[in-house]
Amino acid sequence: MALLPQFLANGVVIGSSYVLVALGLTLIFGILKIVNFAHGEFYVLGGYLAVLGSQLLGFPPLPALVLVIVCMAAFGWGVERFIFLPIGKHDPTNVIIASFGLSILLQNVFLKVAGPEPMIAKSGLPAGAIRLGSVFLTSERIAIVAAAAVTVTVLLVVLRFTWVGLSLRALSENATVARISGINVRRVAVVTFMIGSSLAGLSGALMSSVFMVQPGGGVLVVMKAFIVVVMAGMGSIEGAIVAGLGLGVVEALVTGYLGSEMRDIIGFLIVIAVLAVRPQGLFGLKTERS
Amino acid sequence: MATLFETAKAVALGLSLTALSAPAVHAEQLKLGVLLPLSGSASLAGTSIREGIEFAIKTANEKGGAFGEPVKVFIEDDEGNPTKGVTAVRKLVEQDGVVAISGTYVSAVAAAETKVAREYKVPMVSAGSTSSAVTDANTAGDPWFFRAFPGSVAQGRQTAEDTLNRLKAKKTVVLFENSIYGKSLADQFKKDYEAAGGKILSMESYNPGEKDFYSTLTNVRAQAPDAVYIAGLMDSGAQIIKQSGELGIKIQIVGSGSMMSDKLIELAGPASEGFAVSSMFEPSTPNKHGAEFAKAFRAAYGKDADVYSALGYDSMSTLIEAARRAGKPDGAAIRQQLMKLGDFPLVQGPDGTTAKFDEKGGVAFTIGLAIVRNGKRVWMPFD
Repeated sequence: MALLPQFLANGVVIGSSYVLVALGLTLIFGILKIVNFAHGEFYVLGGYLAVLGSQLLGFPPLPALVLVIVCMAAFGWGVERFIFLPIGKHDPTNVIIASFGLSILLQNVFLKVAGPEPMIAKSGLPAGAIRLGSVFLTSERIAIVAAAAVTVTVLLVVLRFTWVGLSLRALSENATVARISGINVRRVAVVTFMIGSSLAGLSGALMSSVFMVQPGGGVLVVMKAFIVVVMAGMGSIEGAIVAGLGLGVVEALVTGYLGSEMRDIIGFLIVIAVLAVRPQGLFGLKTERS
Repeated sequence: MATLFETAKAVALGLSLTALSAPAVHAEQLKLGVLLPLSGSASLAGTSIREGIEFAIKTANEKGGAFGEPVKVFIEDDEGNPTKGVTAVRKLVEQDGVVAISGTYVSAVAAAETKVAREYKVPMVSAGSTSSAVTDANTAGDPWFFRAFPGSVAQGRQTAEDTLNRLKAKKTVVLFENSIYGKSLADQFKKDYEAAGGKILSMESYNPGEKDFYSTLTNVRAQAPDAVYIAGLMDSGAQIIKQSGELGIKIQIVGSGSMMSDKLIELAGPASEGFAVSSMFEPSTPNKHGAEFAKAFRAAYGKDADVYSALGYDSMSTLIEAARRAGKPDGAAIRQQLMKLGDFPLVQGPDGTTAKFDEKGGVAFTIGLAIVRNGKRVWMPFD
């Protein structure tokens, strides 16, 4: 039992990164109905941009993160405009395949440009362990939790209290009615994709100082994000926050008490159980449309 | 009826031709294949090994190649995936007409590839796969898979002895990658460490590519061992070392051969100080042949050779030498010569190490131990 606080702390740190990745995924799905399998590579790209900013350009932590967010928003815009929009026009399901293709394309581009060697971003934060009672953490790990908390708060405020947020929610609830009410659906779609892409990149950037960035690093991340999103209910923002943190904590406890090899299994087991009992997800609303 | 018979004969002939495969057709030029993980999680090692292999080819071709022509090499990426590996073997043999293969790095993939290569009578020399299971699958006295360095049995034993006697660690926790590479080393380490009087407190596996070890290391700290032995690849090893530093764990960490890389020191940072790793080659090697290789490699690439480039070099040079001695590009003949290479020097291991393959296709030499001091690996002498 003495180890429990450390396990919980580990879980909250990892969970925070899941929350950020899953939020982007669930936003894009909830509003655009795009299942983006390349989301994990967006995360990796964010990591590489952080390495670029912090190592090669020598930026301090905050400007490096701003660089990541700006670049990822632009990247998201480009992907939506030049890949998903034209392909989705004919048949929306083609977008799923396109996102798979984009995922493989990006992995190979990373391999070609950055090479197979893992890289690590410099956080610029003080190194060494920080001890809080029986819990050891680093400033980088604390920064992840803090950054996730700030981002989530900003996102919730924007969604709730701004015109953009209102149109996003309207579109998510019913695209046709949103259109009739005069919402510029195209603009909302683009903004959503840019936000989603930035969130994935931000998460990748934050994690790149703790873990390493590798070309294939997004594969498991996107699976974990899907676990979170499916568990929470596709499109549910609050659900993704709870489920993301929950998955992180459960994984940390499983690793601690049952062993590391069980870690990647447990999430999928939970998803199967959730889908069997509550197919709309823990926080998803059963919507019936005429 | 006659036509039917003719057709059957033609089909039978076709089948037997396929079984005989390409080698007989290509007479003069020596064509060799290379299989390595050049993308995917093991690609870091794969690309370093390729440099060693290419350097061996370059060196051989400068000395006139084989059979009066430059050696031609076909490189395939197996992605560290057994299915891709098997397809790549078929492509190399059937399309490119290679007669022998240097490869591969991931043990499980090597095991799958050699099964297929053997059907074509194409010998393989490991390009980094360590698990003894692959050479043990050879029939004694009739090996088709060779490894020009000691396998997991010898490495596990040596590390167990070094951990107990040199590093004076009596209680050890073992963390191993859930693969035949990690498991074969971990099991061997446990067996020999306990036999020598050490105590294994626990054994825990992790999935290949795992990055977060905080929870695992929290448990390790609670057990208060003298040492932690990691049997796995470099990327996870670097994470374990870095994170144990962050968790304030001051325990001797010992790593398997894959972690013998400068990149690990760079990634793990100051936490790598004192890290011990079993080592078959260092640029500062006492092996004269190895020292010459290190010097020439440095001149050619502008960087130091490491264990990966060294074993890639050994893998390819033994193949080329065996082919030269065989006098013809024929898989079976090359294999016969590989088994008689006891006088051919290797760049790995102590001075005077030769490619003396045993009846199971392995080579035995003393494995060294390197310890990181002031951000550099320092090689303890072989003894």
